[in-house]
Amino acid sequence: MGEEYVKMTPLAAHTIWSAVVNGQMKQAIAPSNAILLDVLRDEVGMLGVKRGCDLGTCGCCAVLIDGEPRLSCLCLAGQVQGQNITTVEGLAEGAHLAPIQTCFATHGGSQCGFCTPGFLMSAEALLTVNKNPSRNEISCAIEGNLCRCTGYQQIIDSIEAAAAIKRGEAPALPPASNPHPNPHPMGPEEPSMPPGHAR
Amino acid sequence: MAGGYRQQPGASSGGTRKDGKRVAGKQKFPPPGSGGSHPNMGPRDLDSIPESVGGKEPQPAGSHIHDRYRTGTEVGKPRALVDSYAKVTGQAWYGDDVRLQNEIIGKILRSPYHYAKIKSIDTSKVEALPGVLAVATGADAPNTFGVLPVTKDEHAMAVEKVRHVGDLVACVAAVDEATAMEALNLFEIEWEVLDPVFDPRKGLEDQDEPIHWRGKYHVGTTNVQKRVFQEFGDRSLVVDPTASSHGKWRMEGVHHGFTEPHAVVAHWDPNGRLQLYTPQQVPHYAHRALSTVLEVPMHQINVIRTFVGGGFGGKSDPFPHEMCAAILSRKAGRPVRITFSREEVYWINRGRHPSYIEVKMTADDEARISGFDIDALIDGGGFASFGHVTSYYNGVLATAPYELGSFHYTGARVWTNKPASGAMRGHGAVNTRCAVEVGLDEMAEQMQVDPIDLRLANLLPPHSRTISGFRITSNGMRQALERVREGSDWDKKFRQLPLGKGIGIGCGFFISGSGLPIHWDPNRFPHATVHIQIDMDGGVTVHTGAADIGQGSTTAVAQVVSEVLALPIEMIHVRSHESDTSPVDLGSYSSRVTFMNANAAIRAALDIREKLLNAAWEMLGYHPDVLVLNDRRIYYKHDPAVGVSYLEALHKAQEDKGSLISSGAYRSPPMGGVHKGAAAGLAPAYSFSAYIAEVDVDVETGLVSCTNVWAAHDCGKALNPLAVEGQIIGSCHMGLGQVLSEKMVYGRTGHLQNPNLLEYKIPSVHEMPHVTPIIIESSDPEGPFGAKEAGEGPLLPILPAVVNAVYDAIGVRIRTLPLSMDVVWKAISSKTRSLGGIEATELPSPRLEHSLLQQTLAERGAQHRERDRRRQRSEDTSAYVNGVLFGFDPDRPLEDQVEGWKSAVEPVPEQLAELGLAGKAWLKKEQRQMGGDK
Repeated sequence: MGEEYVKMTPLAAHTIWSAVVNGQMKQAIAPSNAILLDVLRDEVGMLGVKRGCDLGTCGCCAVLIDGEPRLSCLCLAGQVQGQNITTVEGLAEGAHLAPIQTCFATHGGSQCGFCTPGFLMSAEALLTVNKNPSRNEISCAIEGNLCRCTGYQQIIDSIEAAAAIKRGEAPALPPASNPHPNPHPMGPEEPSMPPGHAR
Repeated sequence: MAGGYRQQPGASSGGTRKDGKRVAGKQKFPPPGSGGSHPNMGPRDLDSIPESVGGKEPQPAGSHIHDRYRTGTEVGKPRALVDSYAKVTGQAWYGDDVRLQNEIIGKILRSPYHYAKIKSIDTSKVEALPGVLAVATGADAPNTFGVLPVTKDEHAMAVEKVRHVGDLVACVAAVDEATAMEALNLFEIEWEVLDPVFDPRKGLEDQDEPIHWRGKYHVGTTNVQKRVFQEFGDRSLVVDPTASSHGKWRMEGVHHGFTEPHAVVAHWDPNGRLQLYTPQQVPHYAHRALSTVLEVPMHQINVIRTFVGGGFGGKSDPFPHEMCAAILSRKAGRPVRITFSREEVYWINRGRHPSYIEVKMTADDEARISGFDIDALIDGGGFASFGHVTSYYNGVLATAPYELGSFHYTGARVWTNKPASGAMRGHGAVNTRCAVEVGLDEMAEQMQVDPIDLRLANLLPPHSRTISGFRITSNGMRQALERVREGSDWDKKFRQLPLGKGIGIGCGFFISGSGLPIHWDPNRFPHATVHIQIDMDGGVTVHTGAADIGQGSTTAVAQVVSEVLALPIEMIHVRSHESDTSPVDLGSYSSRVTFMNANAAIRAALDIREKLLNAAWEMLGYHPDVLVLNDRRIYYKHDPAVGVSYLEALHKAQEDKGSLISSGAYRSPPMGGVHKGAAAGLAPAYSFSAYIAEVDVDVETGLVSCTNVWAAHDCGKALNPLAVEGQIIGSCHMGLGQVLSEKMVYGRTGHLQNPNLLEYKIPSVHEMPHVTPIIIESSDPEGPFGAKEAGEGPLLPILPAVVNAVYDAIGVRIRTLPLSMDVVWKAISSKTRSLGGIEATELPSPRLEHSLLQQTLAERGAQHRERDRRRQRSEDTSAYVNGVLFGFDPDRPLEDQVEGWKSAVEPVPEQLAELGLAGKAWLKKEQRQMGGDK
């Protein structure tokens, strides 16, 4: 090859990575220096975890590690070996969306939707420990998440509404003013992956 | 079967005869606005029901073709975006989520130099690296492209020279990311480094090697890409003003900061067609550019718009990396995925232009705005992008909402060796709007009048024409100003708050769709087309090319179709992702989607409705004029018990034909002036907005924080109030970023110093004030159900509102954006020094003592209020053009009434000496014989 160059990625040994992702044991062969975000997206196939900045500044890649919100782009996969990881895909309870998910839809908490998974994880973590958060407490919980569309106000509204449902003060939301409940929770826009989506 | 199905009358509606037999009495007819699916509901809110259908809402002037069908069942209700459930479950697929079988990873080699010629590229070592499957350089794609047909100056990869650090040089595809990254180090390139230009002021000077050649229209040998001169009105009014304002502004470049980095997947399918997955705001332009660059007919390319993780204008150019992926994939025979890092996102940029803006304004003895002089020099970076249009927008979008005695604009856009600027939310209008509104505030201060009253007494009425010939239809500016004034308790706060606390006002004016499409086609090609298809199951499939970038255009289309066909929204399925199945739509830019696409959807739905009613006519024997299509049932107007179900009518209509299919289109009407550049800023409707912002300024550190915003926006009609409020609050967020913290920092060496979200300061949740969104509905005669745009216009007023509030708080006018701590602190300390070295905490707060003019303004405002009401309600349909306030007759050409009233688009030689900074571009002659490179 002639000239010397610095290799971008040191060829470290691969390891078998395993963890419980959304309640299911998952295994992957990954480089030992792999970032959790890469493993979750590329190996485990949890594409709901989004990559926005790789620097821990946008919060799109937030996941719950044993219930604690963590940025998966700043986390080595090896650090969470064997732990419980929850991604946005694991929020719904079976066929029922979690209150936080419904509220983000009905209260305008999601516009372009790219930051939404991260916000949902931060909010879910907050609501698990704090049943009745004030608006300020909500702000503090989502301060690590960046949203460019909503201006945060409707996100805070959504989280407040979800907290009320969780406390049982408000009924679990049916889609507002909808006399014909949609049997397909994804709504009319085609939700499916494009053809050939392998994982 | 005439008569058809008879509905069993309910006991309450029918009653019983004396002999005990039940009769088919008249069913209670649902009042308009009550929600068609609840026939027994009482009248809802008469105030929001149009007069034509029995409500109290004032009718707009002109014909409003949709009112007849406006029952409010779906339109006007807060509605979750139809795709939001995909988003909250993580199933929405964005660019990088498209994973195809056997995919490989593409990477782009970017220029390390600001400006350099490529003498040679040797790729042999790259090709030899195991795992590399394809390499491409500029030689593989020599055709130029660009979003505007008049300025196609981009290549997929640099052909002859690179024009900024980060410009694309070559690309490579490999089995994995690590190999591709490694391969980037193996390119051997011989460079000839050229002298770069970073300062747009230098770009006005002649240079040996301009960044581009504009062929025979090149301005001297400068880097001027576009220059504009416009002059309208009577310049003699400017002489001897009562008040005047002269401000020189410096605005930094701003990036969209969308959360999803660009990503693209290209795949040549087994039939040799290109399938390109990309998060694009305007897939159609990408489609055209791909066809040109790849030399493949458009029908052999399928552009698939993935979900778009925020656009704001930053994903509206056809991008070189899209070409790269297609070229690599063609070479490798495998799908190629290219995903940008955040740094690359900043290198491709297309954000707001860094600008030098100078505004001179004058007011006459009756506080009428007699002169408006704007000079805007904008820094375009390395490529043209949307710049041609931006050069116009910086001036022409300041000509309303006020009535002007004269208007003078010089603008220039120059190329520099920086990442290209382009379109960003509030395209071109934001920076000058800020300068102009602050100028008004300053003039109000000089005249000692309330700035809101100054504005209220100088507004153009509904159904009028601006000084440059734009047609204003509906106009909610007055209500917007009145509502924010009331909501914020303005009269008790303005100029009365203590030092460090301030309140300020700003207004906005923006286009709702551009009157001419970018790719203008003389054959009256529509701007938007929508297909609707209904099969035997009754579900409605809507095909549209409108790109939903999170603003909710898919939802808007579903809503209007649901409204016209009186079907629940769950029965409407919108397909908008693929160019194979969707008709051409020009895309999400210029705030055109809701206006144009929903109008097209309404037309298609009306066509379907007619087919259904005709089928019901055949079955029932009643003419469609006396039939009502309501919640999945068609019935006789005077006896609702006589009717057929939607499915019965549908099946009848499908006899011998199969699916009901219709196509609807929208094309804006001919309008506007005939001067050069008259089409820039022309729109079928305009939105108006007024914001009041409250700020806290720490006088000792210069920290500005915005605490409260009252934001009134006239969107015509809120099809989905939840989405409109979201747009208003989101616009506030983005505008606040620009006015308080965001800037792209180019150091002394011209390198972008903050290409990441850590140092590029987007407001977090803690910097966000409480925003009170106020929706003004002026019901536009041409908008879908009266709607206008709500996506970009709401951004404009927040900047001047905050700048004016900062003045109210500390009495210092700052004309450098963003108002970061250092800028504000410097301004405060120079003020304290000029006052004899007082402490910052002793700064005098500005106060207002109304002058005699205030009374004049209040009276004129009250008169105009009545005038506007009569015009809005079509009680007064006389002509109104800009100039009436100055005593001119609207029915005769203004040029005939006063000598000196002019419309000019080129300076006369005597003017050349006194032109502003950007005006200097007119000192150079166009070099008509210039050859240039390609």
